[in-house]
Amino acid sequence: MKLTLKKRFLPWVLCAAVLSLSSCKTQLAPEYDKAIVAGLTDATQKTMYFFATMEEGTTAETYTDRALSYNQLIGAYDALSLQAKARPVPDNVATKKINELLQSKGSDPLSSDYPSAFAFTKISETLKKMREVDQADGIKPFALLAFKGQVLIFLDQAITYESFLKR
Amino acid sequence: MSDVASIIKDIKDISTTILKKDITVVKGFSERQVEAIAKQTVIITEGVASGDIDEELKKFFFDGLKAMAENFVNTLKGILSVTLEKLYNALVDKLWSIVGSVV
Repeated sequence: MKLTLKKRFLPWVLCAAVLSLSSCKTQLAPEYDKAIVAGLTDATQKTMYFFATMEEGTTAETYTDRALSYNQLIGAYDALSLQAKARPVPDNVATKKINELLQSKGSDPLSSDYPSAFAFTKISETLKKMREVDQADGIKPFALLAFKGQVLIFLDQAITYESFLKR
Repeated sequence: MSDVASIIKDIKDISTTILKKDITVVKGFSERQVEAIAKQTVIITEGVASGDIDEELKKFFFDGLKAMAENFVNTLKGILSVTLEKLYNALVDKLWSIVGSVV
């Protein structure tokens, strides 16, 4: 079967072809980090378990039962955010050329703020807000669904990105 | 010695193999995200209507929607930069092996 390239990816292919003539191998994204993925897998399981324990919403009276879990999860995501940000940003001729190309087309350059690090920070912020609401008034069912949805969407972004770094 | 047609074919094959695999991941991720963000919007709307989500929480969740949409795009860009890196390095390998075979 003859395979054809999608039109929208042709500029990327051409860009790679042009760059390949000018220098040796390059790195455009950070290294895959097994420790981050292991930490993320562990935190994801604990987060899912935590949400499963309060499916019908919560009351402020029982907040103390959950206080430790909030603190552990927030700590885990803050640590993951630090680990993700600590990786060096690839800085080479190829990255500069791509950023010039993207900017000339009106697009933002490749960001040094990794999407997984951003997602970890947002998950931590979501859990902090959840803890605040839980402690003050308890969490009502729809609010709980929205907190869970927000955490899961950011988790998917982080898991997809970190897994994809394994070339 | 390699001819132009066979070099073009090799480059196309390398590109197609990498892109085909990565596009599958991008497509799956995009579909999951778009569906999840749409569901999240409905949950927030229903939560506000039922009174489970007050004004302050509504603002928090709307800011969350904006951040997740922004990071969805940034994740796609991050994935594409990995794809570009794989393409680039595979092409360098191929071109260098051709040059090496005649030097």
